[in-house]
Formats: sequence, structure tokens, C-alpha cells
Amino acid sequence: MNPRSRCDGVTRRDFVRVGGLTALGLGLGTSLRARRASASAGVPAPRTTSCILIWLDGGPSHLETFDPKPDAPEEVRGPFSTIASAIPGIRLGECLERTATLLDRMAIVRSVTSPLGEHNLGTHYVLTGYSPTPALEYPSFGATVAHLRPNPGVLPGNIAIPRFTGNLSGNGYLPGETLPFEVGSDPDRPDFRVRDLEIADGLDVDRLARRLEFAGSVDALSRGRDASSSPPGDPDLSRAFDLITSPEARGAFELDQEDDRLRDRYGRGGGNNVGQSCLLARRLVERGVPFVTVNSSGWDTHANLVQLKQRYPGDRNAQLPSLDRALSALIVDLEDRGMLDRTLVLVMGEFGRTPKVNPDGGRDHWPNVFSVALAGGGVSGGQVIGGSDALAEYPAHDPVTPADLAATVYTLLGIDPTLELHTPDGRPVRVAPQGARVVRELLA
Amino acid sequence: MRRAILITMSMLLALSSLRAEAGDGARATPPGLVDFENDVMPVFTRFGCNAGSCHGAAVGRGGFRLSLYGGDPDADHRAIVRQLEGRRVNLASPGDSLLLAKPTFALDHGGGFRFDVDSEAALLLREWIAQGAGSGSTRRLERFDVAPDRHVGEPAGEPIPLLATAHFDDGESADVTRWTVFSAEDPSAVEIDGKTAEARVSRPGRHLVIARFLGHVEPIEFVVPPGEMAVDLSGEPRHNLIDGFVLDALEVLRIPPSAPADDAAFLRRVTLDLTGRLPTPEAVLAFLGDSAPDRRTTLVDRLLRSDEFTSYWTLRLARLFRVRAEGRGPNRELAGAIAYHDWLSEQIRAGVGFDEIARAVLLASGDTHRNGPANFYRTVPGPRAQAEFVGEVFLGSRLRCANCHDHPLDRWTQDDYHGLAAIFSKVRGGRIVEPDPDGDVIHPATREPAIPRLPGTVHLRDAEDGRAALASWLTDRDNPFFSRAIVNRLWARLMGRGLVEPVDDFRATNPPTHPQLLDALAEDFEEHGYRLRRTLRLIATSSSYARQAAATGADALDDRFYSHHLRTPLGPEVLADAYSDVLGIPELYGEEPPGTRAVSLVDPETPSRSLDVLGRCGRVDSCEAEGQSTAGLPRSLHLFNGPLLNARIGAPGGRLDRLIARGAGPMQVVDAFYLAALGRHLSGEERRFWADRLDEQRPAAEQRAILEDMVWGLLASTEFRSNH
Repeated sequence: MNPRSRCDGVTRRDFVRVGGLTALGLGLGTSLRARRASASAGVPAPRTTSCILIWLDGGPSHLETFDPKPDAPEEVRGPFSTIASAIPGIRLGECLERTATLLDRMAIVRSVTSPLGEHNLGTHYVLTGYSPTPALEYPSFGATVAHLRPNPGVLPGNIAIPRFTGNLSGNGYLPGETLPFEVGSDPDRPDFRVRDLEIADGLDVDRLARRLEFAGSVDALSRGRDASSSPPGDPDLSRAFDLITSPEARGAFELDQEDDRLRDRYGRGGGNNVGQSCLLARRLVERGVPFVTVNSSGWDTHANLVQLKQRYPGDRNAQLPSLDRALSALIVDLEDRGMLDRTLVLVMGEFGRTPKVNPDGGRDHWPNVFSVALAGGGVSGGQVIGGSDALAEYPAHDPVTPADLAATVYTLLGIDPTLELHTPDGRPVRVAPQGARVVRELLA
Repeated sequence: MRRAILITMSMLLALSSLRAEAGDGARATPPGLVDFENDVMPVFTRFGCNAGSCHGAAVGRGGFRLSLYGGDPDADHRAIVRQLEGRRVNLASPGDSLLLAKPTFALDHGGGFRFDVDSEAALLLREWIAQGAGSGSTRRLERFDVAPDRHVGEPAGEPIPLLATAHFDDGESADVTRWTVFSAEDPSAVEIDGKTAEARVSRPGRHLVIARFLGHVEPIEFVVPPGEMAVDLSGEPRHNLIDGFVLDALEVLRIPPSAPADDAAFLRRVTLDLTGRLPTPEAVLAFLGDSAPDRRTTLVDRLLRSDEFTSYWTLRLARLFRVRAEGRGPNRELAGAIAYHDWLSEQIRAGVGFDEIARAVLLASGDTHRNGPANFYRTVPGPRAQAEFVGEVFLGSRLRCANCHDHPLDRWTQDDYHGLAAIFSKVRGGRIVEPDPDGDVIHPATREPAIPRLPGTVHLRDAEDGRAALASWLTDRDNPFFSRAIVNRLWARLMGRGLVEPVDDFRATNPPTHPQLLDALAEDFEEHGYRLRRTLRLIATSSSYARQAAATGADALDDRFYSHHLRTPLGPEVLADAYSDVLGIPELYGEEPPGTRAVSLVDPETPSRSLDVLGRCGRVDSCEAEGQSTAGLPRSLHLFNGPLLNARIGAPGGRLDRLIARGAGPMQVVDAFYLAALGRHLSGEERRFWADRLDEQRPAAEQRAILEDMVWGLLASTEFRSNH
């Protein structure tokens, strides 16, 4: 074998073993599936599609990921080579080797284009489908989905791991309960806990139950004779209590319930949490949460692109290998569990990077063309839609705007993009902007 | 066959009605000549063609753009007659014009079928095209009104016919009911029959219907009393000018008001409203022991004079004016915010009139680090945002829509918006605020620099100082917005809901619930030097303010006529301070000295997880929406498991710890906490409830745990977290 180190430092031998684990994982998934099926016999399986958004905060380089240009001059090609994929003739950046083998289940749009090359503005456009205006902040996909499909369980309908991007509030003009609920801490840490979900020191479930009862009694007794229509008590207090004390809800966040080998396949350690975040996202979607954002930071690579592959000798957890591991494990895991066809996996950031490598060995912001990858959830896989020109500067054909992308994502999630929502002051606003075109080729 | 006959019949009917109406002068123009502006354009509004969701969108629709609700007749005429190589009108064969073929669905139309080929609308368009599709207009629409504009009736009563009239500058008027769109704010309460222009109210309450003709809007108010039997409120106490208006409205609605609040409830309410604090247990005991008949008025006057009043109302104005640090990271400067905050505090303390405060900020210049009010020009970026900010703060109006088109629900035009922005384009913000004679803003319609203009009135002459003219116009006693906007804010703060709600949404189509009361409050405010204390005192000493929060039955559904006092959540800063006061241990805020209260923090970004969780406003945007946007789930999780309460409930030196150390019995502890948190003693029923749970025989540790849980329950209850 070529002595060139693989992206994450795994040797060929290791890879064989990893492959073996995949097979084992399959078996495990099947038995789990069987158990779940028997547990929920008689309950019709929900057919609605959930979404896991892997948000590459900062703007990932399209050239190092889904749209490499191996034939371009060196200053455009960048420091990495490319690899073949499951789609004949389609190559990816060398670090996405596992993802490349799954491309038959994925679709890549290589001609997404936006004029907005600033983090806040670009994020708003890509995550809401609306070009930002001072008049109105629009809701992100997650808020719209949570608004239209309230989760009947105790888990919130829009969850961000570990936090939502700082470039957008998330709920726009929609009510506060559609805001992304931030788990607030890093799922890769051994002491991972959702913020304020863990019962405080010195307390227990009985004490909390008594506290909730007392709060309710204070209200009920104070307002004994009040006939007014606003009911006493605070429904949020009960929601929080249910979340804290529901074994099902709390269990959703307990990553150590997962097989260690599966956790390894998603990737862990090395200061990168995208792997365990994706695993947590799967657990949440499995429990009916309609929208989960996995926020992966560190993609704003103005300098030193090679660090995307390796930050120090022996590093296995740089951005690209971590993403590759997390994304491929997620797709395989969802497939093993029979969840892939009702879970849309969306991989993107707010823009791409400048085709020409800058003097610092990095790339700057470039919104004129970039790539978005999709899998599962009714996506017609095994295809590349649109394309950039020879130097990855502009769309060569079939340009797709963030507005088009929004209309497509909503369609995939079973929401009519022309549906009208209302701002608090009554202004009707469509879910996706007028004129947005659904990219039909993406729909299976 | 049968269908054909029907069509012919309807055609005949339509034709005859057109003739009849034309003959009566009912059409907006004398018979014969079809007038583009007054006859044709109303058709587009009536059938939704120029609405924002259709061709009225900024980018138009299907390649055809009309101005929103006909704001720009010339552009509309050009779009219809000139664009698309004139194919939209066919002068030789009017019936083949796209303008007719599309809405009648003779040709495929994205907007679907709008009106019949034989309808009056179609006939009108055809006639106009046949006459040459001219743009001329023989007269100008001066006014549009509706009758009735207010209707009080029984539920499920007879349908109410609506009549819309256009008045022209030639003295004529015309019935334009059939070209008017009537839309109910709540279609489940008021049903509009578009064909007959009749309204039917199905639910008790006050409901609004907006009538829209061309670009004009008028509200119609429907009142159906929820009470079945007439109520006689002549015996109700009337303390000052406010009460008559409130009681009159309740009489019309047949809602008997709730009983007066008791002294303890009144004390907690008014202390929170005027000083942002809970009454101390000592203050409660003193007030409950006071039997002077004028004790409430004496209390109000004492609170209005207190330093706590100054501190709390400085916070209220600092939120309104969005006082905050400038810049980020290493460039962050707090000096301006401190100067601004100190200045506001001094205005409040000294009781300076709000007109003077407004003039001071509008005319301010100089170094923002030294001259507080100059920070008014560092708050928002650019002259357009400054115009919107002034609209929000001093007019209580949202001008933003008028940036891109005339406001669809209000009087503000694009000229008003950019004219106001043009005034502010002559000021240069930054650390030093100074005049910028060469500044301008481009009017998007003319693509020329906008001409400075006082909103809704006149363009300014070249030589005029725009800011001075604006300040005089705004604080002139004839200005209909300035005083109403601020007294409505004060009213909303104390009464739980604005007479106009939301308080920053004064709008032609959002009328006040009690228009005469708002007028009277504004007039009183102006007559007494625009002083905030004057109006606050008037409200706080009215009998309307002093009603109990509990509804007694008939008033249960009322959330806007003040038949009972409305509950309002405590704001984040007030709540944080209230937690500290009841627990007896202060919270620490960033680097501020221990004991600093949340309401007196200058910097809304002072590090504090507690204030974040409680949903404080960062003051980058308007703070009016506070409470609506704070997510309840993280806050509730934090109450249960975070340090906000848990770290202090049983901590050494805290109220609970001190009471137990002093040897207070469990029921004495509970009563002491009720006194501190709810400003009252336990009721008999509450005493029994807690006595059941605090059995004296328990081990001390268990007893203490129950007491801690009691404190938690009290502080997490909505009763504690709200003012009522």
C-alpha cells in the first residue's frame, strides 16, 4: 500500500477492521429494529420526514470537499488530491473517502450560488431561504418545521447540538418556542450533560416533584376565586419537569447507551464533536424530534488549508476526516435502522471559499458558487446536480439559489413551500420566497 | 343549455346594474368617461391584483408589476399600456386585451379566476380600453369613509350593511362599496359577505374590520356586548378623569367590573409598577396598619418621590432609547452609554418634561462620551434606521413598510419615510455627532436625493434646519402622535395593556380601545408640562387601576377593557432583583460591586447567566417584544436545576437560614416568605395547606428540605413572577 498517510492516520489494516464493524453494526441494527417493532406493535410508524442539518459554520471550502478541481492549476487545486466515488466519474476531495463510497445514496448540488459573502448575511440567506432585510428576520428551517409540526412528546421540536449558529437567532418572526433548544454542551465530552437537564446536587426526582406541586399550589391557592380565563400555573414548568424526569427524554441524550464501537465509528475525541453530535442527532430523530441541527464550527479557513486534514502529526480528528467519519456513519446507521428514507440529512455552510488559495495558504469567503450535499428523506441519490466552471468560480449550469434550496428542502420535508405563515403583526409570508424553484431532480 | 341561460341572465343583470349605477352617479366618475385612477385602479385593489402577494409585490408577479394598492398610478398606467409591447391592452379589440383575458381566465393566469367576463369589473376595463386606455383623471380622491364606522349590536343579530363612500375634490361623492374590500381581523368572529357587503358578527367582544378602497384604509369597529343584562355603573367610584371613560365602555359592553383590590395587593402592585421592587415586609406591615383614608394617595406620592422610582424609570427609558455599549471586542466603549444613562437618570429625577427630553436628543451634538443625549445618533445605523427609530420612540408607529412602498395599513407614504430619513442624513453619527450638510438619502422611486419632510405634512425649505423643524413639529401641542405615544406606554406599563396595542403600532387601522380616554390623557399630559410623574400618578390613583386581578365571572373573558386588573410578567431585571430580595442574598453581575441591582445596570450585556435565562433585552433592536420571544423551556429548566434559586435558597446568611437560626417555627417561616414574596400574610386556606405539610414532628433536616421546597415553589409560581 502507498505509504502516504490516509487522511485520518488510519492504516489499511485498521480500515479492514472498521469495515468488519460495519457488518456487526448492521446485525445490531436489525435486532434493535426487531425489538422496537415488537414494542410498538399496533402503532403506525410515523411517515413524516425529519431533518438532520449538519451545519458547517464559517463556510466550508467546496474545493476541498464536494467539488474538487483536480485539473485546475495548483493555486486553485489546493493542497489535497482527489478520490473516486460510488458515482462513476465523480471525484471528491481526498479526505471524504468514506462519504465517497456512499455517494450512491447521496446527491450533491454543485451550483448553489448567492451574492452574500458575509457570515451573518450568508447564514440568514442559506438557513431561511430569504435574503436578509432589515424589515424582518425570517425563521430558519428548524423553526418553521417545529412550528408546523409540534412534537407531541416531551422533547422540543427544534434542537441544536451543541449550540445554534451565533449568526442567526433561529426563530425569526415565529414564536419563542420554535427557537432552537440548545443542548448547551459538547456531546464529545465524557461528562456531557444537557444544560440544566441534570438534577442539581442535593436534589432528587421526589424533591423536584414536590417543588413543582408547591409552585402549582401557590398559584392555585392564590387564585382560588379567580374566574379569569388565563389558567393558573406555568405550562413551561411542567414541560421542563417532564423533560428532566422522563426516562425516555433524558435517555435520548445518554450517548453511553450506544455501543462503543458505533460511537467510535461516528468519531470521537481530538477536540472535534461533529461525530458524537451526529450520533446524538440520530437518537433525537429516532424519538420523533422533527429537526436537529448539528453545528460544526471551525470552517472559516482563511489560512493553512492543510489543517483541515491534519493539525499535528498523528492527528486523526481534523475537520475533514471528522466530518467524513460522522457523515458516513450517520448515513449507514440511519440505513441500518430503516430510518434513512424518512430522515433528510443536509450538509452545508453559509458559502464556499475563494478558488484561488491566498498567500496564507487559506481560502477566503466565496458565495458565488458552493456545494450542498443531501441524503435520505426522499432524496434521489447517486447524482450530482448543477456544476461549477473549470475554476470553481461560478455555476457553469443549472444555478440553484438558497431560495430554491429552501423550497426544495421544505418539499422534501412535506411542507408546501408556498404555504403562508403570518408575522405577529399579521403580514403573510410564504415559507419559501416567491419565485423559489423546487429542484425537481433531487426528489426521488 | 341551462348554464348558458344563467350566464346570459347574469350578463344582463350586470349590464343593467352598471347602467343604473352610472345613471345614479354611483360610479366614481360621471357617466361616459372611464377614469383610470378613480374607476380602473380600484378594480385592481378590489380583486387583489395589486396586493403584496400578487402583482403588488416588489418584483411583481409573472412579469407584471403594479404598485402596492395603487400607490403609484403613473407607473401602473405605464405597466399596463406600455410594457410587453402594449399587448396588455388591445385598443382595436378591447375584449382580447391581456388585462381582461387573464383575470377572467380566458387565458391561463397564475392568480386564477378573479372575475367573470360579464362582470361589472370586466365591463369597466373593456370600456376604458375602448375609450383609448388613457391615464387622465378628471378629479382627485380627497377622502374615503365608511358607514357605520362603529356598530354596537347583539350577537348573531341581523346582517349589518356596510357602505363605503369616496369624496372627490370637485365636491362630488360616490358609493364605492362594491370596489371596497372588507376584511375582518378575526374572520371567525365577523363574517363578511363580499357580494352584498354585509357583516355578521358571531361572537361577543370588540372586533375590527378593515375597509380598503384603492390605497385608502379605514377601520370599522363592531361591538357585541358579552354581558346579557344591562349594568348600572353609576354607583362605581370615580377618582379622576380616567374612570368615567373606562366605566362608560364597560357599561356599553355590559361587563360589571371586579371588586377593588385589597390594600396588600395594591401595595405590591403599585410598588412594583413605580419602583420596580417588591414592598419590603416592613412596608407591608406598616401599610396594613395604616388606617388613614388617603393612605393610597400618600403611598403613590411617596413612591414617586423615591430614588427607587428614578432608578427604575431610568431603566424604562434606557430600554426605550436602547442605551447600550458601542462596538465589539477590543473596540467596545461603554463611556457613551454611561453618559447617556446618567443624563436620563437626571431627567427623571428632576422631572423634566418628555417634550424637553425629546428636543434634547433630537438636537444633540458633540462628543457622545461627554454629552449623553448625543448617543441618540449612535443607536442605529444610518438615516433610514434613524427615521424608523424616531417613528418607534416618538410616534409609536412602525414606518418601516414605507421604505419600499406607501404603508399598506397606514397613512405613511414613501415620501414621508425618505423625507424623515433625509432630515437625519444631515447628521453625522460616530463618537462625535455633528452636522453633515452634504448628507443625503436616495428616494428609491425618484432615484434622486429625498427632500426633507415632516411626516404626513410638508416638505422643508432648503434653508431650514431639519432637526429643529422636526423637534418643534413633534412637540407641538397639535401633534397628534407624540403625547399619545408616550402616555399610552405609561398606561400599558401600569394597566397591563396599551389603549393602543402593541404600543409601537399606532396605525390608522389599529384604533385605540378607548379613543377619548387616550385623548384626555394626552391633553392632561400636555397641560401639565409633559411630565411622566403627572400621568403615572393619575393612573395609579384612579379606581380603574385599583381593581383586583381576579375576575368574578362576567368579566372573565375581558382582556382589554380593564374590568379587572391584568396580570403582567415581571421584567427580567425586576425579577432578578426580586429573587435576590426574597432570598436575602444578592446576585453578582460581572465586575459590578456586590449589591448592585439588576435594574441599575447601565450595560445590558453585563455578564449574567441569570439575566440571559430570564430573557433580558440586549437593546440592539426594539425591546417592545420582551417576554414574547423569551423561550420558556430553558428558563424553567434553569429554575429547577440551575444556580439562580438553588445556590441561594438554603445558603448561609440567606432569609431562610436566618429565620431558622432565629428559631422561627415552620409556619412563621412560611408566613415570612409570603410577606416578602407576595406582600401579604397567608390566608386561612394556605395556612392549612402548609401546616399539613410541615408537621412539627419531622426531623429537622426533613423539615428544612420541605421549607426549601416551599421557597422554591413560591419563587417559581406565576403568582410571584407576575404583577397583579
